[in-house]
Order: sequence, then structure tokens, then C-alpha cells
Amino acid sequence: MAAMLTRDELAGALVQAGQGDRSAFRIVYEATSAKLLGVCLRILPDRQTAEDVLQDTYLTVWRKAESFDPSRASPITWLVTIARNRSIDRLRSAAPMRRAVPVEDAHDLADDAALASETIEQADEVGRLNTCLEQLEDKARGVIRTAFLEGVTYDALAQRENVPLGTMKSWIRRGLMRLRSCLET
Amino acid sequence: MTDPTTDDPGPDDARALAGELALRVLSPDEERAARARERSDPAFAAEVEAWNTHLAAFAAEVRGVEPSPLVWPRIQAAIEPAANDNGRLGFWRGWAIGSTGLLAASLVAVAVLIARPAPVPEPAPAPAGGITRVATLTLSEGGAPAVTIAYDTVTGNLFIAPTTAIAASAGVPHLWLVRPEGGVQLIGAIDGAEASRRTLSEALSGQAGTATAVAISLEAPGTTPPPTEPQGPVVASGELQQL
Repeated sequence: MAAMLTRDELAGALVQAGQGDRSAFRIVYEATSAKLLGVCLRILPDRQTAEDVLQDTYLTVWRKAESFDPSRASPITWLVTIARNRSIDRLRSAAPMRRAVPVEDAHDLADDAALASETIEQADEVGRLNTCLEQLEDKARGVIRTAFLEGVTYDALAQRENVPLGTMKSWIRRGLMRLRSCLET
Repeated sequence: MTDPTTDDPGPDDARALAGELALRVLSPDEERAARARERSDPAFAAEVEAWNTHLAAFAAEVRGVEPSPLVWPRIQAAIEPAANDNGRLGFWRGWAIGSTGLLAASLVAVAVLIARPAPVPEPAPAPAGGITRVATLTLSEGGAPAVTIAYDTVTGNLFIAPTTAIAASAGVPHLWLVRPEGGVQLIGAIDGAEASRRTLSEALSGQAGTATAVAISLEAPGTTPPPTEPQGPVVASGELQQL
């Protein structure tokens, strides 16, 4: 069903939703809910919880759409950030649970998936990020990606990789700084 | 853990911390501290936003999964309009449906209003035992943090601390409570530049204990808006949370 919208069309619909236009909001939902559920499902352990958080995410989107500024943020970035943060909040509010797969397995998952943008144009950002990720050491690249996709903390990452917390922090911090200077050149 | 090749680790540290916050790798305590900084330090908040933009590109590799057809009807039910659909009503309604659990509360509130058509309905009881409720109001345009408030449900003391000056030239900032059943209640004009403190009347303090959010409108100088209806634009708002 996912309607194919350009970035500008999606941004326009989101702005209209911010003005209380429910049919525009429906368009936003149709175009992005599959992607956002995918994001939630990477972080949360089961489909029911993920759909619950997805619902919560869109209610937040409806409420906050008024503050979306298309000149400052891409609509899909804005939406993904809300879905991801909501999912992580839910994950961390729900005491201990969760599988502990080694990061390596997560890499396999990631590598299988197409890196191409499926729907809404995000190609520029994706291309830039991938170019810059290639410049990182394998370790740093892997853990940053896992942290983003699964929403896990330094502590959890250090345990999974079986390294001291300080080592994990150092990998990620240095990786982030290299990434950032690459992304901004 | 600063980069040893950097002479001045200060800005780099802030940038790395913003990245860690956006990535959500920090421990709960560290994250709380970083969120507080994000609310009070616009430059840091901008760093976090920049990181969100960069990192969101990771989501490109996530396969889409169609949600169950039941999800949209639930969302739709939660955003159903109360009346017509202009922007301002949309805004208040948006806050009113902040949590689906509030639907039940709003039915109760309507029942109370019908049963007791007194001018000021009995305020729903605030949680007993000295709860402090806090909110960070962010600007409607741009989302930068504008005002932090803290409210003590027992004493009725309300502390209001602007973090960035609200464009005062356009009008006088007025603070509003967003009620769980929808609609708003005026608290009054506030100082948009300096921290201030006031004690709410009994009628207001009950509502402040149950309100879901607070908002600021800019009203024309020399006028007082009706107590349930802002006349000027809503420039900032934020959810009320228990400390």
C-alpha cells in the first residue's frame, strides 16, 4: 500500500497535518507506517508491543507535526527519530528482557537488507552516511550501527562484545567524531 | 575519553555527548543529565538534532513491515475532531489526546460538568503527598526549549523559568493549562524574560494537578483573553510530567 511520495510531498503532508488536516495525516501514515514499524520491530521484541508503540508514535506525530520545520529536517528523518526514541523508551521502561545476540549476527541481518532507500527519498543522506561509515574501523562501524538499529546502551554493547565499558565508549565516541567530521566535509 | 589528537576537547566533548544522546547509548543517569542540557542549551540541542539527521540514514536499511489494519482505526479514533477543524482547535485537541487512557478520564469529566453546572467544577483531586509536576515548554516554531515550569501540587506554588526570551514585542505571554478532557484554562500573564514564582488559587491548583500539558500564547498588550480561550497565537507548549 505504501504510497510513493517524494520528500517534498511528504513534507507538505506533514505540515498540513500540523495544521489539523487529518486527511493529510492519513497520507503521512500510509506512506511511512511500514518503515516506522520496521524501525520499532528492530528495537522491540514482539509485534504487539511494536504496533502499540507505532500507534503512540503517530499520536505524537499528530501532536507535534505543528513543530515540524521542512527547512530544517527531512520528514522521514523526523519521523524515524520519534519512532526510534519511543521504541527505546518502551524497551527501557519494561525491565529486563530481550535477546542477547552477538553483534555479529546483527551485522548479518543488516548486510542482507538492501541499503537502498525504499520509499521516500533519503538517498543523499544514506549515500553520505555509507561513504563515511566505510572510513571507520569495522568494530566502530558495527557497534554504532547496532546501537542505532537495536537501541542498546554502552553497557549492553560492552557485555555483548565482551569488552570493558571504557573500551566500548572509546570505540563509539571516536567513531562518532570521525563520522561527523567526514559527514560535514 | 577525549580524542588525544584534539587540543581543545571542550566543543568536541559536547559534540560527542550530543551524538551519544542521539544514539541513546548513555546510561539512564547520563541520559537524564544530557537531556537536561539539551533543554537548557540551544547549541547542544542543535547538535543533537544534527546527529539525529545523520544517524537516521541507518534506517534506510530497515525493511518496511506493513502494520496490522487495526492500527490506523485506533489512531483515527484518538484524533477524532470535537468540532470544526481550524488550526488552534487542532492544537488543543492534539494535546487532549496525548494518551489514550485519557479518553476515560474525559468521559468522567463530562459527566461531572453535566451533573454540576456550577461555574467552577470541583477540580479532580490532585495526587496526594506533595507531587512536583514539571514541564519544559518548547517553541512551536523550531522546537527550541523556551520555558521550564515546576509545580508543587500540595503548596500550589508554581515556578516559571524562561530559558530563552519569548518574543515579547509581539504580545504578552500568557500561561495556559491544557485539561485532560480537552480545552484550556488560563493561569495568567507571565514574565517572559525573568524567572518568577506564584501561588495558584485553589480552583486553579486542582486543575494544575491534573492538566496534561501547559502552553503559552501571546496576547495583545492591555487585553485579557477569556479564561478558556486564547486569542493570540500559541508560541510554546510542553507536556506536564511528574518529577
